Amino acid sequence: MKYFMIAIVCVLCFLLPFFVGAYLIHVLTSIMIFLSLALSWDMMLRTGQLSFGIAGFFGLGAYASIIAVDDFSIDPLWSILVAAGFAALIALALGWIVLRLREIYFAITTLALSSVFMIFARNLSDLTGGSAGKVLYESIFKGDSIKIYWLVLSVALTVILVSELFQRTRIRFAINAIRDDEIAAKCSGVNIFKYLLFVFVLTSAIQGAVGALYAQQYAFVEPESTFSANFLLLPMSMALVGGIYSSLGPIIGAVVLGLASEYLKLIMPYGHLIIYGLILVLTIMFLPRGIYGTVVNRIAAKR
Amino acid sequence: MKRLFVVLMALVVALGFASTIKIGAVLPLSDITGRQAANAMKLAVKEINEAGGVLGMPVELFIVDDEMKPEKGAAAIDRLATVEKVDFFVGGMSSGVHLAQIPILKKYQKITVWIGAASYRCEEAIGPDADWYFHLHPWDYLQGESYAHGWRAITQKYPQVKIEKIFIAYEEGAFGTSSFKSYQDEFELAKKGTGVWAGLMKDLKGAPFKSAALGGGDYRAVLMQAKQYNPDLFIWAGYDADAIPILIQAKEIGFAPKLFVGAPPGWPADFGKNPLSHGVILYGMWAPALKDVSPIARHFWDAYVKEFNEEPATYFAPLGYTNIMFLIEGIKKAGSLDKDAIIKALREIEYDSPVGGVLKISPSRIIKNQGFRAQKILQWQNGVQHVIWPFEYQTAELIYPFPGWTGK
Repeated sequence: MKYFMIAIVCVLCFLLPFFVGAYLIHVLTSIMIFLSLALSWDMMLRTGQLSFGIAGFFGLGAYASIIAVDDFSIDPLWSILVAAGFAALIALALGWIVLRLREIYFAITTLALSSVFMIFARNLSDLTGGSAGKVLYESIFKGDSIKIYWLVLSVALTVILVSELFQRTRIRFAINAIRDDEIAAKCSGVNIFKYLLFVFVLTSAIQGAVGALYAQQYAFVEPESTFSANFLLLPMSMALVGGIYSSLGPIIGAVVLGLASEYLKLIMPYGHLIIYGLILVLTIMFLPRGIYGTVVNRIAAKR
Repeated sequence: MKRLFVVLMALVVALGFASTIKIGAVLPLSDITGRQAANAMKLAVKEINEAGGVLGMPVELFIVDDEMKPEKGAAAIDRLATVEKVDFFVGGMSSGVHLAQIPILKKYQKITVWIGAASYRCEEAIGPDADWYFHLHPWDYLQGESYAHGWRAITQKYPQVKIEKIFIAYEEGAFGTSSFKSYQDEFELAKKGTGVWAGLMKDLKGAPFKSAALGGGDYRAVLMQAKQYNPDLFIWAGYDADAIPILIQAKEIGFAPKLFVGAPPGWPADFGKNPLSHGVILYGMWAPALKDVSPIARHFWDAYVKEFNEEPATYFAPLGYTNIMFLIEGIKKAGSLDKDAIIKALREIEYDSPVGGVLKISPSRIIKNQGFRAQKILQWQNGVQHVIWPFEYQTAELIYPFPGWTGK
């Protein structure tokens, strides 16, 4: 019954463009982009490692995709896979080094990645267009918003599936053990470095693919916009508001914050960002486990 | 009877749709530039409606905040087109946001009159076929060319002024780097005796700094390099947060070039009240002092102050007003809402703008419909921004050389 309901929801999501207008489609597409980033951040967080590298790998994927299309005439769809692969390769090389660090040292190092990638993007002018960035004359599917929605939805569903696989296979035991107590996990035979590297590479590949989607949707990359902290802070906020260490939490957070942001703008053209910020602060203060975590806790307490 | 009812209903619906002219604006409302541009647009719409509207119809303005985020700016276009069902798009500020809006604008192909986005990448993204797209803000390369024209004119009017050695201190981000690169490109041309700086710029040097807006704020190293170079013209290309610290540190190391130019996109509020600002030159599209020499600028200034009880502080205010007025003049001239007729009319009209200058459409490198092509050379004098060039709008004589730091 549960799987039947999930299948119905998925089908409804695919059929949605036939019932709503271009604006809502656009908003939902953006929500799914940030949802995928939020989930990927949460997947890494489940290992106990706080990564701030989302915006960096997002931007890396975006650049890889635009360069693949513009300079190597690769099909835009394939360029998304190229971007994911490129982000994964870079993550593999960097992960070898940075995953030997822990806690705040790991977090700060990953935070610096975004700046380092941006400096490369700005200075490799022949390849990246330098500080002015690079544009494509046409966006993917010739800008057809419904096809773009379906593509982003497919990627978001794949990310949700991967996140659920993390929760339902033995990977979950390994990463939970690493998060709870690394020494105990090591004594139990868990290859910590291997698992951390696997999760880091996988989540970076997701971030790269999502960056590529974004770049192909809008047909441009530009250092400041593409490596913007917005692609780090918003997904983190979504995961925190929805609830961390789960698949449903970041999904709820992304939908709630994504829709709230647009709704507030509709009813309050000026000052909506203040209310939005207030909602964020209050949610994190009064629901520290996030919406999903709080609901789960309340249900468990009643039982 | 039934048929008559259907016909009447259709007529009512048709009249209903045609009863207002809907304009959709996208601006960053949390930023002073966007907020004042929005105010100025509302003022223009109010004046138009008080004068009886256009083509007998009132004008309705819908403003959506782009939050300075590309995806939000792009979604705003979809919202205006499909929810508010606007007839025209106006607005604009950031190039990064506009790049994301361009694919969406291309989807709807409604007449768009844009006042922001100076990056030439936006022009590339729009391409040569977008007849419906009008860009009023000068592209970055046009701005660079206009500075050369301005300095050349100044050296002719004031023979004591020399512009041979130029030093550019630029913030290391996109804005500063591209500014310096455009000067480098022009310098290469000037060396060959071509380009707009030919015969004017004999030597160029530059050095980057980290802007205070991005966590930096120490300019001593770059100022020392400039001091040793001893330029005729010193330009810093950074952000408003750099404006005062760079002056303080220049004073600290005793660096007072003959021409001290700041080229940030916006200046800090009350910068003019700082005594160090006296004699600093800036580039801009507009200055409050224009109201003393231009009747339309005076009208705009008075109406804005009366309506909003604040003074326009950024050129996006008169530019926002121009944005609406120019479009409405085009509709008036076209005499209908026919797209081709309005495009033709917009290409033909000449609009005397409160920005200072007559707005007339001409092609730029790629697009067919470019509006303004030049910035102005301004100077802070006793707390007031004065126009130095173009001379037809000059509000004060140039103070030369830069008065330095004595007594400040």
